[in-house]
Amino acid sequence: MTCVCKPDRLPHVSSAIPLKYRIKPYLFIAPAVILAALFWWYPSAKGFVDSFLTISNSGKVMGFAGMKNYVMLFSDESFTNSLWTTLKFTLLFVPSNTILTVLAASLTRRRSKLSFLPEYLFFSPVAISLSAYSLLFREMFRGKASVMNRLFGLESGWITEPAGAMVTLVILGVFLDFGLDYILLMCAFRSLDRNIIEAARMDGAGGWGLLFGVELPMIGKTVMVTVFLALKDAILICAPILILTEGGPFRSTETIMFYYYTEAFRSGNRAVQNALSSLVLTIAALAMIIYERRERSRQ
Amino acid sequence: MSGKTVRRPMDTFKYILRKVLLVIMAAAVVFPLVYMLSSSLFRPSDFNKLNLFPSAPAFTNYVKALSHRYFGYYMVNSVMTSVLAALLRSVVVILAAFAFTHLRFRGRKIFLAALVLTLFVPQEAVLYQNYRTVAALGLIDTWAGIISTSLFSAAQMLLLMGAFAGIGSEPYDAARIDGASDFRYIVRVLVPLTGAVVLTMAIQTLITSFNSYLWPLLVTNRPQMRTIQVGITMLGFMESGDIGAQMAALVMVTVPFLAILALTKKRIETALIRS
Repeated sequence: MTCVCKPDRLPHVSSAIPLKYRIKPYLFIAPAVILAALFWWYPSAKGFVDSFLTISNSGKVMGFAGMKNYVMLFSDESFTNSLWTTLKFTLLFVPSNTILTVLAASLTRRRSKLSFLPEYLFFSPVAISLSAYSLLFREMFRGKASVMNRLFGLESGWITEPAGAMVTLVILGVFLDFGLDYILLMCAFRSLDRNIIEAARMDGAGGWGLLFGVELPMIGKTVMVTVFLALKDAILICAPILILTEGGPFRSTETIMFYYYTEAFRSGNRAVQNALSSLVLTIAALAMIIYERRERSRQ
Repeated sequence: MSGKTVRRPMDTFKYILRKVLLVIMAAAVVFPLVYMLSSSLFRPSDFNKLNLFPSAPAFTNYVKALSHRYFGYYMVNSVMTSVLAALLRSVVVILAAFAFTHLRFRGRKIFLAALVLTLFVPQEAVLYQNYRTVAALGLIDTWAGIISTSLFSAAQMLLLMGAFAGIGSEPYDAARIDGASDFRYIVRVLVPLTGAVVLTMAIQTLITSFNSYLWPLLVTNRPQMRTIQVGITMLGFMESGDIGAQMAALVMVTVPFLAILALTKKRIETALIRS
């Protein structure tokens, strides 16, 4: 009975097992493998190989290009501009997102009779989609005559001027990630062992001391998860920009993925697109490896 | 080292500070939502005056949004593709997770590693190649094309493998002795036993597919095939200055999800707090 499902352990009888049973495991994983091959393995391998080839606009391979495509990519001013824009966005977005979500979660980490209300409010951004938020922000931050200026008595041009557009994009980014990060952090706070917190309280720790000295270090792993998610979203941001600013004004919000999108789908520039695709994949792989290493060294 | 019951002035001050901070943050987080609801009842002049609340609430915006010729198509496409994606992805992931946790076969480790490798490949980075694949398969402007890239998730497969492994081998052995097939075991025993995880996963897929923007934008050209998330950016109301109708459309897309959230919040929290 057991040898049917564990042929590896008994290799000498595997030939006696009917073919039907030997094939069955592969049938179970076949859908997953086919999908992974079609939409993950194949495109990344093809992009990588193609990035070293010269390919005509009609798709014909014209020859080996070496590093030429990469040189072309880095000599394109709009690409280096998009690198800086992405870096700027990441440096503004990741810390503000982390600080605000940790703050919201720590303010609501204790259960009380009315705590469901702020919990629901902080969680509610999950229900609002990316395109809904982006359209809404396009209206709220539309320029000098906008609701935001009226509300705060400001004179900013928001999405009509470079600095304002970047700030708007960062605020939008925080709203897009807020709900999920909040619920993860809040639940992490509440999963903590009450005994340890009580013991620390007995020792005289209270309020902020308890938060920064005891509770935050204990949920460090969850905080790292949200930082990592924020980092990923920052590097790959594209769709909100398409709706909110179209990369403008004066290319001030053209990030790497926005550049990739316009090059691939509007200009049809294959050389640049393949090189960039491989570059992003390499960065993603490196980031994942670093993250895994960190996780492992913690355990 | 003051006792719990003694409240010093400093403590009271901190308490008030915390509450004030909480109120400010909550107000900031809901403001866009409140403005969305409020401005969906605006008349055009309210937008010019930068009002926060409608001068005279009007429902004409909703009528206008609902009578947009493609709004119904957008909704049907979105609901159908996200439900299909959630169902089919669950099947794909359950089958794979079952095989990797319950069956032994040659190449098991290599296949598993290769599937986990997809975690390293963000869909955004292979957008163009996948677009070409879907185009070559003739799936542009079809539901199959829209859901194609979201039918597998290595993260969900790993999550489910953890849940399946947590059950142990006794139920499976018992089912085998009773002569139940693997399919029967999955449907009758495995999925019911891990129901909470499977359901959470399916809901997660449903919401992410419903909300996805970039991929559906790329693989649809005909307005009748667009999903709501793509469609609401192409209603043309913003361009013609009819912002109120645009806001009404946003409200209609958002409110169902706010309701789902209110109903499932408790369940999501308990699932997260336990793990």
